[in-house]
Amino acid sequence: MLSRNIRLLSRRYSQAVTFRTTESSPTQQNENQVGLFYTMNNDVCKQLFAHGGLPKSFMKQTKTFTETALMVRLPALDIIDCIKVTDLNKPVVRYVLYGEKGAGKSLTLAHLLHFAHEDGFLIVHIPWVSDWLRRLPRDKEMSNSQSREGFVDIPLDAAAWLLHFKMQNQVLLKTGDLKTSKEYVWSKRESTPAGAPLAELVEHGIARVKYACDVIDVLLKEIKLLSNAKKCKTFVAIDGFNSFFYPLTRLSTPTKKKVAPEEVSLTAPFMEITKNDWTNGAIVVTTDQLAVPEDRQENYLPKYLLYQKGFEHLDPFVPMEIGRYTEREFLSCASYYRDRLWLRGPPELESELKLASACNPYNFMELCAPL
Amino acid sequence: MSVFIRHYNPGSVYNAKIWRFASTTAETPKLTNGEDDEEFRVLDILKKRDKLQRRAPRKADVPPDRAEKMRTDQKWGDVWPGPKSFHPSSVPLPIRQGYVPKGQAPPGKKANAELMKIPNFLHLTPPVIKSQCEAIKKFCTEWPKLLNSEEAIEKHYPLEIITSDYCHASPVIRNPLSRIVILRIKLSDLKLDKHARDKFLRLVGDRYDGQTDLVTITADRCPVRRQNLDYVNYLLTACYHESWNYEDWEGDKTLQDMEYYDFDMNQSKRNLVNWHLLCLNEENNFSDEEIKLYDVASIPNATEYIESVSSLFNDGESDATLKKYDTSVRKLLGLPDKKIVT
Repeated sequence: MLSRNIRLLSRRYSQAVTFRTTESSPTQQNENQVGLFYTMNNDVCKQLFAHGGLPKSFMKQTKTFTETALMVRLPALDIIDCIKVTDLNKPVVRYVLYGEKGAGKSLTLAHLLHFAHEDGFLIVHIPWVSDWLRRLPRDKEMSNSQSREGFVDIPLDAAAWLLHFKMQNQVLLKTGDLKTSKEYVWSKRESTPAGAPLAELVEHGIARVKYACDVIDVLLKEIKLLSNAKKCKTFVAIDGFNSFFYPLTRLSTPTKKKVAPEEVSLTAPFMEITKNDWTNGAIVVTTDQLAVPEDRQENYLPKYLLYQKGFEHLDPFVPMEIGRYTEREFLSCASYYRDRLWLRGPPELESELKLASACNPYNFMELCAPL
Repeated sequence: MSVFIRHYNPGSVYNAKIWRFASTTAETPKLTNGEDDEEFRVLDILKKRDKLQRRAPRKADVPPDRAEKMRTDQKWGDVWPGPKSFHPSSVPLPIRQGYVPKGQAPPGKKANAELMKIPNFLHLTPPVIKSQCEAIKKFCTEWPKLLNSEEAIEKHYPLEIITSDYCHASPVIRNPLSRIVILRIKLSDLKLDKHARDKFLRLVGDRYDGQTDLVTITADRCPVRRQNLDYVNYLLTACYHESWNYEDWEGDKTLQDMEYYDFDMNQSKRNLVNWHLLCLNEENNFSDEEIKLYDVASIPNATEYIESVSSLFNDGESDATLKKYDTSVRKLLGLPDKKIVT
């Protein structure tokens, strides 16, 4: 009884401020919805982010809140608008999201992924580059590349990514319009004929983990060709892209030699696809301080994080800063937390939390957790 | 009386001779004159003395201090015509100087060594200077009419030589610091091309101040000012001509050695040209040289983009430069402007 009363009370309080929008399709959202939350369809969410893509802490929160609600924020809308008006016959435009730790770069990317999914893009998405290059779980497999001398394969990660790719693009892959342009011979007995659907290629990579890295290489080349031929439009999203440019990875060859990111066989295809020498697509990457070790975390500006090499690789790109919450966004977020009964207490609490979290979304979330 | 003479010849035996002179005095017979005063002298055994007369102390006739007698409308230049150390009676001013005991005033001007120690400029009062200037005016020539402003002077006399003269009261009038010569010139006044300017800056090192664009060469190694002057002139000449020289090894300079960001030599230019040609659907297989020479003026909105990229590298990355880069890239790629939080 008491808890119901409390719930009713907080509901009533939260209804004073609108914090939710019913417009759940990012293609339709506009400035009127800035700072409001929209709920993602569970199936779509599962399809897009089942194999990563949302930060871990946010995943936990969605489980608690029993819904995946994203805030519509201005940078995402800005990029969506840009993508809408871009002439797809021109070379792809690259967007770089940057901002402080916890400002919401990954969630903005998730929002954009949702948009791309709604808009019928073929999605090429790396949830977190550092998972490949810097994370070393015990079962990490590293082997010398068979096809290319001096390269290191991470076949399990590659296969996992192929699975992720297949999951995200299951609709498009099923239609079967996307076909390979030439024959690829993997071994004496295994080959993919020209004109085979891309799904077959992906399946092959997943089934034969040994060739997963090569399959990715081929797959991305094919995607580029298909995009150029207007068979599909492609949305490339890479989170923690600056990890590719940090001089050393934590991987090592079987002979314990340290590996530079260029020597990982997965790097080259993604470098290729982030070039602007193809059309009919869009590229959004994020640069994150957390993607590199602490000695490279002095500030969050993209040129510093990407090094000159990375900057020149992406140049000209559209830098897009993801900032802290504005006044409006903060209030809306606070009332959302109140609605979810995540935040209780007197209304003065907000101003205190605002000061304590400095309007940083992640800090705010963390501070609210014990309340 | 003796003379001691030393003859010294190298190699010979040392010999000394002593002459002794025997002095002779002439014996002159003493004249006895007038012992013929017959009066006896009285033997005064008790030696009664006269009462000593107290001498009345004579009052010293001290004239009043000169300083107090001075008229107020006197010409001070006549009283104190040249430099000299302080004299209290000549200066009609209530000056005090020296250690101040607690609760008391500093010592007055009379018998005050502190005032005499320090140099004074009592001979250089404004009216005196004025009259002296008037006096030497007839030797001066007129100031050139065209040099009527600082800019004109800088334009016609770009080279600036700075020396210091020292004036102090000591047995020596020379001061070693007066030998130092400073030469200053604006770098923009030197005729240098891109390479020569770069080399000149490397040669002068921290003698160049980027804020004021001034090159300052200081010489103090020679003992005389004249020599130092010659030396700074030599240094400037040598640096200037050396910077125009082109050595063989200078061709080996790579992109990493560049001290500033040159858009034409970097990857970004290649990116830009490639992007432009892709937009036009043209073939691009340019070599590095061709890319370098490619005229970017044909690309719309490129100049602003180039400027913003250069400033991003040259001025360092900051919110301002990134914002500039953002707007210029959006213009270049034909994207809408950034949305602003309302």
